[in-house]
This record gives sequence, C-alpha cells and structure tokens, in this order.
Amino acid sequence: MASLSYRTALKIARQEMRASSGKFFFVVLSIAIGVGALTGVRGFSSSFRGALLDRARSIMAADLSARMFQQPTEKEEKGLKEIADEHIEITPVTELLSMASSAKTLDPLLVSLKAVDPKKYPFYGSVDLQPAGELKTMLRDDTVVVAEDLLVRLNLKVGDSLKIGDHIFRIVAVVTNEPDRLSGNFAAGPRVFITQDGLDASGLLAPGSHAGQRYLFRVPKPGNGAPISESDVAALKERLEKLLPEAQVIDYRETNPALTQGLDRATGLLSLMSLVALVLGAVGVAMAMRAHLEQRLDTIAIMKAMGAGSGEIIRIYVIQTLLLGLLGATLGIALGTAVQMAFPYFLGKLLDVPTAVHLQVRTILTGLGAGLLTTLLFTLPPLLDIRGVRPVLIFRRAMEESNDPFVTALFRKLSKNASQAGAVVLILAGLAAIATTLSDSAMVGEVFSLGLVVVLAVLLASCAALLAALRWLLQRTRLRLHSAVRHGLANLYRPGNPSAALLAAVGMGVMQITAVFLVQQAVVRELHISSAPNLPNVFLIDITSDEVAGVRTLLKGQPAVNADPEFLPVVSSRIIAIDGVPAGEAKLKNFPKRMLQTISLTSFDAPPEGTTVTQGEWWKAGETRAVVAIGTRTAERLGVHPGSKITFAAQDEQFTATVSALTKSDGQHTFSRAEFVLNPATLKDLPTVWYGGAHVDPNRVGEVQRALFKSYPTVTVINVAQALETVRSVVIQITYVIQFLAAFSVFAGVVILASAIAGTRYRRIREVVVLKTLGATRARIGAVFSVEFAVLGLVSGIVGVGFANVIARMLLSRMSVTYHFHWGWTLGALLATSAMTIFTGWAASFRVLGQKPLEVLREE
Amino acid sequence: MPEETVIAVEGLHKSIRNGSRTVSILKGIDFSVPRGQFVAIMGSSGSGKSTLLGLLAGLDTPTSGNVHLNGTAISYLPEDRLAKVRGRTVGFVFQSYQLVPTLTALENVLLPYELNADDASFAVGLERAKQLLENVGLGDRMDHYPIQLSGGEQQRVALARAFILQPPIVLADEPTGNLDTANGSHVLELLLDLNRKEGTTLVLVTHDPVLAGYADRRIVLRDGLVVSDERSERAAELVR
Repeated sequence: MASLSYRTALKIARQEMRASSGKFFFVVLSIAIGVGALTGVRGFSSSFRGALLDRARSIMAADLSARMFQQPTEKEEKGLKEIADEHIEITPVTELLSMASSAKTLDPLLVSLKAVDPKKYPFYGSVDLQPAGELKTMLRDDTVVVAEDLLVRLNLKVGDSLKIGDHIFRIVAVVTNEPDRLSGNFAAGPRVFITQDGLDASGLLAPGSHAGQRYLFRVPKPGNGAPISESDVAALKERLEKLLPEAQVIDYRETNPALTQGLDRATGLLSLMSLVALVLGAVGVAMAMRAHLEQRLDTIAIMKAMGAGSGEIIRIYVIQTLLLGLLGATLGIALGTAVQMAFPYFLGKLLDVPTAVHLQVRTILTGLGAGLLTTLLFTLPPLLDIRGVRPVLIFRRAMEESNDPFVTALFRKLSKNASQAGAVVLILAGLAAIATTLSDSAMVGEVFSLGLVVVLAVLLASCAALLAALRWLLQRTRLRLHSAVRHGLANLYRPGNPSAALLAAVGMGVMQITAVFLVQQAVVRELHISSAPNLPNVFLIDITSDEVAGVRTLLKGQPAVNADPEFLPVVSSRIIAIDGVPAGEAKLKNFPKRMLQTISLTSFDAPPEGTTVTQGEWWKAGETRAVVAIGTRTAERLGVHPGSKITFAAQDEQFTATVSALTKSDGQHTFSRAEFVLNPATLKDLPTVWYGGAHVDPNRVGEVQRALFKSYPTVTVINVAQALETVRSVVIQITYVIQFLAAFSVFAGVVILASAIAGTRYRRIREVVVLKTLGATRARIGAVFSVEFAVLGLVSGIVGVGFANVIARMLLSRMSVTYHFHWGWTLGALLATSAMTIFTGWAASFRVLGQKPLEVLREE
Repeated sequence: MPEETVIAVEGLHKSIRNGSRTVSILKGIDFSVPRGQFVAIMGSSGSGKSTLLGLLAGLDTPTSGNVHLNGTAISYLPEDRLAKVRGRTVGFVFQSYQLVPTLTALENVLLPYELNADDASFAVGLERAKQLLENVGLGDRMDHYPIQLSGGEQQRVALARAFILQPPIVLADEPTGNLDTANGSHVLELLLDLNRKEGTTLVLVTHDPVLAGYADRRIVLRDGLVVSDERSERAAELVR
C-alpha cells in the first residue's frame, strides 16, 4: 500500500481540527495560557531587572570600579588601553584630602576633593546641582562644585572663590546629589568636585601625596536594546582583578548589601516564577492533550480498521499536535506579550524605574520551544503506543483503562518501548535546557528541579496510598456508605479514571503556586526591613568621646531627625602582620596594601544590629583575650578565617587578636561600616573617636548640618541621603514587582489548573447521561462529583501545600531569608485548593448536567 | 375490562437543525401501548425509530406533540422531574450497554434502586439486585467491573439493571445489536423471560425481523411516519 504523504496527513489533520473546532480551541487555549504565563512573566521580569540594574549602577556611577593607591605601572596602563580599545569606557576619579580656604578670609578647612572628567563622569546616574545645571557644562578647569557643608563652614556662597593648593577656583554650584557617594571614601571634610586638569593645576598631586585613584568602567550596551549582559561585567571584573592585582575591584552590585540582597532575591524569585510558569504551562498542555487524545481514539481505531498503518496515523497526529502546539504557542506568545505590555501600565504609579519593554527573541523562542516540546512530550508517547494496539482494543478504550496512575503507566509503556523512551528522554532534555536558560539563579534551578522530582515521586506515592486507602475503606464499608459518597470515591480509584494524573497535576500546581507565595511573602518582609525608612542616611565623623553625649542630645532635639541616632566608637590602627607574616609580605587578594595602614577598629560585646555571624562564633560578653570579628569579604581579601591571628598596632601599642567570627552586615546601620569588631576589653585604653549615624529627612539635611556646625564645628557630616533613597526606591520597587508578578503567577496557575480540571468534562458526559437515564437528578450527580473533587482537592492540597513549605524553606535558607511556618496561610491554601477543585469541577460540569441525554447517546 | 394504556403518543414531531437546514425526523406519530404488551418498533436506518424511543423515555424534548407514561405527560417536564419519572417508570437497555465503568456489576444493577427507591429498605434492593444477577447467570461476577466483563455479560448486567425497580415500562434500543448470535439469543431470551415474569410493557427498537417476530405488535416507521402497525400473528398464536 502506498504510504500516506505528508501533504495528505496535513490535510486530514487540518480537516479534523476544522470539524470539531470547539474542542480544539480548548486545547489551543490551554497551551496558549501556559505559554502566555511563561512569556509574560519571563519577558517582564527580564525587562524590569534590566531597568533596575541600570538604576543600581547609578550608585557606583559605573559597572565596575577599581580603586588603587598608586599610579598604574606601564604594563597596567597598556592593559587599560587595550580594554578601552574594546569600546569599554574608562574614566579616572581621584580622591584626596586637602586644605581649602576662602579667598577672602583664608580660614583653612579640611575638604574631601574629588577630581573627575565631567565629560564622562558619571557613567550612570547624575550629579544634581543647585542652581540646576549639568556637571559637564558647569565644572570647568577653573570652577568647583561643593557640598553645602563647605558654604556653611566657610561662610561662602555660590559665586565666591575658593583657594585649593595654589590655585583659586570659582564656586559655581552646590552638589545636592552625588550618585556614587556610598562607594567613595567617607573621609572627613566636605566634598569639593574639581576637574582632573584643575587638580593638576592646583599642584596638590605631588609625589607621595595620599591621593586615592579609582577607575570607573562602563561596558557597552548590546545593540538590540537588551540589558547589559552580567557575564560581560563578570568577565571584565575577572580581567581587571588579574591586570590590577593591587586594586580593589568591585562591581555595581557590591556597593550596598541591601541592594545586592534585593537584587539577588529578586533574581531568585523571578527565576522561580519563570520556572513555575513553565511547569504550570506544561501541566496545562499535558492535561489538554490527554483529554484531546482520549477523544481521538475512536477516529484512530476507525482509521486502523480501514487499513491505515501506525506510522501513518502517528504522522497525522504528530502533524496535528505540532499545529496545535504552534497555534497555541503563537497565541500564547501574543498573550504573554500583551501581559508584558500591560504590567508597566498597571504598575505605572508604583514604578519610577522606566521599564522599556522590548520583545526579546530569546523569550519568544523559549515560549515557542516550551509550548511545542511540552505538547509533543505529552502526545508522542501515547501515540507511539498505538503501534502495538489492535483496533478492537482501541475501541474498548485500552488507553483509558491502563492510565492509572498516569506516570506509572507511562513508565510501564516506556519500559516496553525503546523508541518511546528515546522520544521522552529527548523531549525532557529539551525542556531541561529551557529550564536552565530560564533560571538566572542556578541555586533556584537546582532546588526547583530537585523539588520537582521529589514532589512528583511523593505525589504519586501519596496518590497510590490514597487509592489503596480508598479501596480498603470501600471494601470494609462495602455498600454501607451513602451511594453518592461511594460513587464519588469510586470515581477516584476505579479503572478508567484519570484522577491520578489530575491529582499529580493539581498537587504539583498547588505546590508551585504556594511556594511562590510563601517565598514572595518572606522575601518582601525582609526587603521591607532592609528598606525601612528610618535607617541612618547621614553620617558623622570625628566626634570626640567628650562630644558624644552632646551630639546625641542635639540630634534628638532636631525635628528633621526622625530616628534615634547610632554611635560607633572607632580606634584608628594598622595591621602589622597576618598569621605571623609581616604586612608588607602578606598575600592579599585585591586589597591594596596601603589600606592595611588605615584600619578602623571598633568594639562590641555582641553582634551589633544588622550584623550576622556567617562563620565561627561571637565571643561571650566580658571576654578578655583579644578576639576580632571581620566582615566576610574583607576576611576573604586578607586571606584569614576563624582561628587566624592578626597583629594590630594602635598608637604605640601592638596586640594580636584571634579571628573569632566572620560577619555579614545589612549595610543599613552605622555599625555596618565597622569591618573589624574587637571585644571591648582589648580596646579599653586606646584613644577613641566616634562615628555617628542618623536618619534625617532627605530634604532637611542642610538644617541639621548648620545646627551641628554651630555647636560642634569639628564634626564632619556626610550626607548619603540621596544615595540611600536610590537604594531604598530600588528595593521597594523590587518588592512591588515581585508581589505583582507572584500574584500574576498564582492567578495564571489557578486558571491553568482550573482548565485542567475542566478538561475532564468530556469524559463525564457519558456518565452523566447514563445516570440521568437511570433517574438521577442534577443535584445527585452534582453530589457525586463534589465528593470526587473535594477528595481530589484535599489530597492534592495537603501534598502540594506541605511540599510548598519544604521548598520555600530550602529556597529561603539559601537566600538567607528567615522562613516562618504560617498555619493561617497553610490552611488557607488547603481550603482554597479544595474550593478551587470543587468550584471548577462544578463549573465545568454545569453545561454537561443540562445536556439532553439523547444528544449524547445518538453520538454512540 | 378495557385495556389500561401505559404509553400514549400524540402528534409527536421532532425536527433538528443541521446548519441552516431543518431536518424533520418524526413527522407526526400517534399510538398507544396497553400494559404488558411487547411492541417492536422497526424501520430502516434514519427512519426515526431511535429518536422515537428516546422521546418515549423523555431523553429529549419533542418539537411538538406529547408522550404520556402511566398517565403523566412527560415531554415538557423540567429535567429533574423528568429524571424522577424516568427512574420510577422506565427501565432502559442500550445497544452499547452504558454501564457506569467505575461501579461493579452489583452496584450498577443497584444504582436505579439507590437513585429512585426512597422509602424501600436498602437490604431489599440489594437482595433483589443479587437475585436479578443470579437470574441472568452472573451470580459469580457481581464484584466485577464492566471492563472485566464480555459484551454479552455487560448487556445481561444492563438487563438486570433495567428490571431492578420493576418498572412498568422497559425500553430497549437494539439490545442485541452489538452481540454475536449466541449471546444475542441468550440476551433476548432473558429479556422476554423477565418481561413475562415481571409483567412489564416492553418497547424494543430493532431492524431485525427475527427479533421483531417475537413481539405482540410491530410498528414500522418510514421517513418519520408510521407506515404499518400490526399485531404479530405468531405472537397472537402464542397468546392463544
């Protein structure tokens, strides 16, 4: 017999689709919802992350910065030039302390000079000036822009002259926002911006001057409007660390721990949501294709009876499946794109990050691939199975009867058939590849995949246990149970029912939705803490021990100060040796040796607020041995760990402290600036100055500065209010977006699960009709279905919600977020699952219940 | 004593819309059936016999006309009232058995009893269901699911189910149509036996003249109209 051509197969497939377009529409819609959720969440979260990362970059004013304490060597200069030749922009920033004086009074004042190239600096963010203007036009070689503090102290105004070194500059504006204030030195003295040439002219850069040099780098944006690739930034960082071994290289994510954590958590959560959308989409597609294939069995049987070979039938249905998958995925991408476009509209008032939505080819291809692959995954094995089946067996619903539980049956089929196994393995590998590209966070991908496998195993085990329990119960009670209950329960476990597949699908869906919800709640709670509006945003430097009490009282009395000020005792010291190796010979990792000369020590009996121990142990109060706790990153750079010995020198005294703990701070407190915390007994007799921090209304910092200057003229005020506002706004926007996307994921998930349940309605029609013919009322049939759906919802709910808690706990602990078990949410999720299954079951069966029996019987 | 009418059909019309076309399936049917009679409805494919049977059972609504079962006009009753009337008055045997796949043979037979017999004791129903399954030769297959039974066995379960409530009327749509000759004869014998024992009115749709030969009366349909309605001689002889 001549074999069926692809053309004819396509024709048959299309004709069949046209003939029962209603049913096919449902399948296409299910695929579309799945792919739409994936594309929408994925697309928006990647656009949003891009916009957010741009904002985060403004805190460093660059993608990367390298801080050095000496001029680059020839080799280093050459390396930097090579980098510049690759279209990576570089600009130097020089910072040093100097004396400045008013040209009129010649009163000297220590200022913190920052020399920049205003044509390039800042790469991100902006230097805000008063009167308003652009840095690149206002800052010239003979002008400076200064912090308001300087005007207060020297009693100057804009337009006056300022003498720096041996050169006189004109003050053209006051700096109201310096984007990278958080990443520079917190040196004493008000900020003065000067051009690089201006600095040269001042003659301050004599050999041996204590100028600190930073190079800022900007990686070029890809041409297609996509965000800057993070791997490009990481690659440049690695290259710079090699090129400049003495330099401290950091990327923009490291400027503020709150920001880093916020971004990391957002990345993790958004990855999780994309993966969840993928799996939920797959569940939707799977359920739709199952229901679809069940209905095609008769046609397949007829074709086989007419002499069609298995290969030909498979060809027709693979083509049909691909058409459905393509149609659904295309529709889904359109839907996802619409959703993606709609997100900024809904979030417009909350987001001041401009989220330019651009269609990314990768996102579209991912959606298309996921749609087609999942459709094929759930269609190909049953189709391949057709080869070994005789027509009469298909007529007798051989497929329907052997599918309980679904996955066991699938495995059984697979073990019999190598080509099916091959097909499934290939398709699963494709899906795993998609999942990998979806997950920006390897950790989330790992926990998620592991969770998925475990939960599937447990779902099937609990499903089998439930069916066994039901069988046991029904055998014990036999006919004593009310017939509606008996009938409803029987529907769950007797042959020919896809409840097991549905149970696995719903349980899986519930687990994912609840996990997203739980993780989102915990992350948002922590982000709210780290973006609390009353954390210090103004720092005070060089307060003497005699002044502390007075400064505290003064700050508390200021109406613009709206939280208790924090004070930190600091002892200036230097590091002499690490583990017995003299500082000069120590092997440091991107830690300029000169920084070992200016180490600030502080002392606490217990970890200060916002600081957590990551390794080792904090000492007991009253410890008399010299012990030190060090920030994890600094410890890494110094190459120390708990148990290491560090020899410090303060004044003329030397002491060796044992590293007791490594710490991590949230960057939100004055204490966060203390990288070396010792026990109080060790620092007791050493000369101490104090650092202070207070939260001041960002618009009224000047007023507090003036009040402080009046009573304590030697205390320097450093205003990071604007920079911290940027951090805070980024973090808060992260919380808005993840809450919104989580809500969307939950909604899409519920829709997909509901449609999966609704998809079983065709199977019910025949049963409903028979029951009606035998005299059953709609209420009675409804009762039978309600029992079935309630048990289904309850079991999948218990397993799903239980596992959601386990997965949330694992994910959160990896994200360093505290997990709390909530009875309320757990019970709520359980009830919601039951309510959802009963409601959708009912809604889907409603039309079936009203159908005239003869309409269905005539189709026999 | 005048014969008691159990089924009365008056001016029954049924049309269906097929796209823009309206197709008349039944074009005005009138007849009545006295208690205990065995009526065979015959006709070629598309003559409207299955539609007529469906309307007799209240499984669909006529376009016009009415069907009275035991004196109740059923054609325009709301769905749930209709289900109740159907449950108490009609036993149905389908060509393709239509057993509930998730229930055992015994539970399938018991189902109409549980759905409709509100005041009778469950034990009585259970006993009767078992007895009926014994009668159709399935005493040892009571706990089997439909899938575990052959076609003939499934149809015998369907027969037992149709008779569980001792309905005044049993409607059968090609009950042997899906069975081989031996199984078909067996099922037919059982059907007639139950019909005799239970004193039920039996309306059977078939296009098998041999099967129709057993009936008291044969109504022949063509193009939606009754073209012949005659008492079977053989049946009349049997009665004599």
